[in-house]
Amino acid sequence: MKMEIEERARDSADNCLACTSCIANCPITEAERKYKGPKFVGPAHNRMHFSDANDVENTLDFCSNCKNCDITCPSGVSVSTLNMLERAKYYRTHPHSQRDQMLAHGEDMAKKLDSIPLGKTFANLGMSIGKAFGVLDMMGLAGKRDMPAYAPKYFMDMFKEIKQTSYPDKVVFFPGCYINANDPEVGVAFVKVMQANHIEVLVDENFVCCGSPLVVTGYLDEAEANAHKNVDRIKYWQSKGYPVVACCTSCSLMLKQEYAELFSQQDMVDAAKNVYDAFEYLEILEEQGKLSHDFAGKKDKKYLYHAPCHLRAQAIGLPAYKMLKDMVGIEIENADAGCCGMSGNYGFKKEKYEISMKVGEELFKKIKESGANEVVCDCGTCRMQIVHATHAKVCHPIQLLAKAYKRFNKQ
Amino acid sequence: MSKSDVVVIGSGFAGLIAALVSAEKNKKVTLLSYGAGTFPLNSGVVDIMGYDEKGAAVASPAQALATVPAEHPYKKIGIPSVQDAVKFFLDFTKKEGLPFVGSLDKQQWIVTAVGTMKPTCLVPESMQGNQCFDAAEIVLVGVKDLKDYYVDLVAKTLPDWLGKDKKYSTFTLDSHITGGRDLTTLDVARWMDTEKGFNDAVSQLKSQAGSGKVFIVPAILGTKGNEVYTKLVAALGCPVVETTGMPPSTNGLRVRDMLLDALRKHGVEVVENIKAHGSVVDGKICKAVVAGGEVRDKKYEADSFILATGGFYSGGITMRDFGEANEVVFGLPVEADCVEERWVNEQLFSAEKQTFAKAGVRTDASLRAVDEAGNCVLENVYVVGRNLSGYDFCFEHSGNGVALSSAYKAAMA
Repeated sequence: MKMEIEERARDSADNCLACTSCIANCPITEAERKYKGPKFVGPAHNRMHFSDANDVENTLDFCSNCKNCDITCPSGVSVSTLNMLERAKYYRTHPHSQRDQMLAHGEDMAKKLDSIPLGKTFANLGMSIGKAFGVLDMMGLAGKRDMPAYAPKYFMDMFKEIKQTSYPDKVVFFPGCYINANDPEVGVAFVKVMQANHIEVLVDENFVCCGSPLVVTGYLDEAEANAHKNVDRIKYWQSKGYPVVACCTSCSLMLKQEYAELFSQQDMVDAAKNVYDAFEYLEILEEQGKLSHDFAGKKDKKYLYHAPCHLRAQAIGLPAYKMLKDMVGIEIENADAGCCGMSGNYGFKKEKYEISMKVGEELFKKIKESGANEVVCDCGTCRMQIVHATHAKVCHPIQLLAKAYKRFNKQ
Repeated sequence: MSKSDVVVIGSGFAGLIAALVSAEKNKKVTLLSYGAGTFPLNSGVVDIMGYDEKGAAVASPAQALATVPAEHPYKKIGIPSVQDAVKFFLDFTKKEGLPFVGSLDKQQWIVTAVGTMKPTCLVPESMQGNQCFDAAEIVLVGVKDLKDYYVDLVAKTLPDWLGKDKKYSTFTLDSHITGGRDLTTLDVARWMDTEKGFNDAVSQLKSQAGSGKVFIVPAILGTKGNEVYTKLVAALGCPVVETTGMPPSTNGLRVRDMLLDALRKHGVEVVENIKAHGSVVDGKICKAVVAGGEVRDKKYEADSFILATGGFYSGGITMRDFGEANEVVFGLPVEADCVEERWVNEQLFSAEKQTFAKAGVRTDASLRAVDEAGNCVLENVYVVGRNLSGYDFCFEHSGNGVALSSAYKAAMA
């Protein structure tokens, strides 16, 4: 069923007053002179040129979908989503590169490798050899970067081995591709935190990639197919009374907000009400007086927090930072240094590498000057960028919180 | 989760000032922000009162303040609070590295991007148009390929304002930025931020410098603070005056940047991209503001609330039909002459104020909303900036002045 207001994002373009707030606050516009800026791509060009499929703004490709335009727009225009719709339109009549095909479909690759004996080991080896011999570069990837290594055991397999205590309160964890295949310890920490709060964690084998990497590379139909699959499952869990919780802020933004913006379906809006960012959910538990405060966090370390843009767009403030600082009592400072520049798979593209690193300069500088022992960030690709640029130690806030609970602190 | 002392709703000039003053009083402040305000459209100066009721330029803001009609926000704010707010802002900007100058006694004049001059009260050091009055020669600097700034137009217009007895010359600065999108003042300001760009600019402009000369440049003197301006004045050895500019306005963005920096230092919690649309009220006391994003709402509890969501332009006040003007967060009574025939004065640049522009929340002298009988509606909710009724900031040039002084007074309450 279509929503009452059809084509929400497109309608929002008519709210544009051309105030240039999005241009002034766009990190890509600041870093790259070739980019005309968000206003000229989505709200201006897209709105005026819907009739002709071949008529797209020629600097559209620079948009990273980081959402700083949406965050700073005073008039509620879904600027970045308009850009993504325009990009999808472009790819209806233009072929994708092999590189984009690969970056968009990380989930398929991760699944294939898992089904081959030693597949992940050889893939990791292959990526480092590929990097050394410039193969990544030849494929149009940023050769200076390490590609994210596959974990020896994916989260969904690790989960099966976790012995949970069963509780009547349950949540369904949406790991997302990166936590599942590359950073499963984040998922394990999430289970610990939930268990410490007498909540049982369920997983759902039928969840698929949220679609974020598909949207930004212009595979909009595939993203919509994924959206329908996930929305069906979220609604199923909704009917059981179990919320769906994600630790990846790009996944949660997609499930909560971008599905409805991109595809204008009422059931996406309904399903979104059952999806939570992990710390948003913990904050609600705290408000209800249900959150365990049995903390014994070590206080000898200094942390720096980096807020992912995709969290800042969610209108929930910075719940992880606030909780770690005010409740757990960890010494943590908010870097407040804008976008890291990675923006999902954007920074992995060879021709976007320099832009990506330039965008992150302020954050990198702050990290280096901070003297912090570790950088805390909810987003997996932000963490990769931070490690690449600064070699800092990084973690997801849920890992800090898990460690702060006495019962896990002893281990 | 945790109750604040003050929740400020809105992050335009009024909202940021209200949050800042509250934080300086050691209050625990939460700022609910939706968008980046009107700073990219804002010339970054503080007009207190530019033009009187008849549209004539005001020589002394203090004198103009004494004669405003009873409905005007300044009447409620009161002259002592305006004086305190001005002093606060001058001290604050000095401390934060973007010092403003000016006083309520005498108007400052600034140069616009089309070569006219306009009166204002407080200006950053880089925009002191008054310095042009005594100059023997004005050097008008344009920038090659800069969009929306035509130095020849400025050269044609400015003598009408500054007098034809002065010498006027033009010079075109080359940023050597080629390719890519149209050049904006923000792009050139970023170039001036770099050491290479700055030195390049100085080496080009140096030949034009000399005693008795004043440079007028578009708003390109860096993206943050006052540093590029002071360095350039020192390097050239004569005064430099920035004009206002087309959006994105670097002068407005510098002010926003300074205010956000200060809030960061004070540890103010800023919640971004969040729209407030309701409140929890018990009798005459507001307990919480209801705000959220696309999916769900949250209650933000506090002892007091400052409403700085703006007027029609910013969506703080809406009107579906005549007679249905609505303040969106608290449903406060909106005072407006909501009659179709009188609503709009069709002549855009006429000598009369616009009725719609004066629509807003009626308050008492403490800036709390009152009903038609004059009774306070909510005792712990203060209304500031463009949410207030009874003035047409565009006509009289008082926008940031009302914002500054009402926000200051509300936060000090």
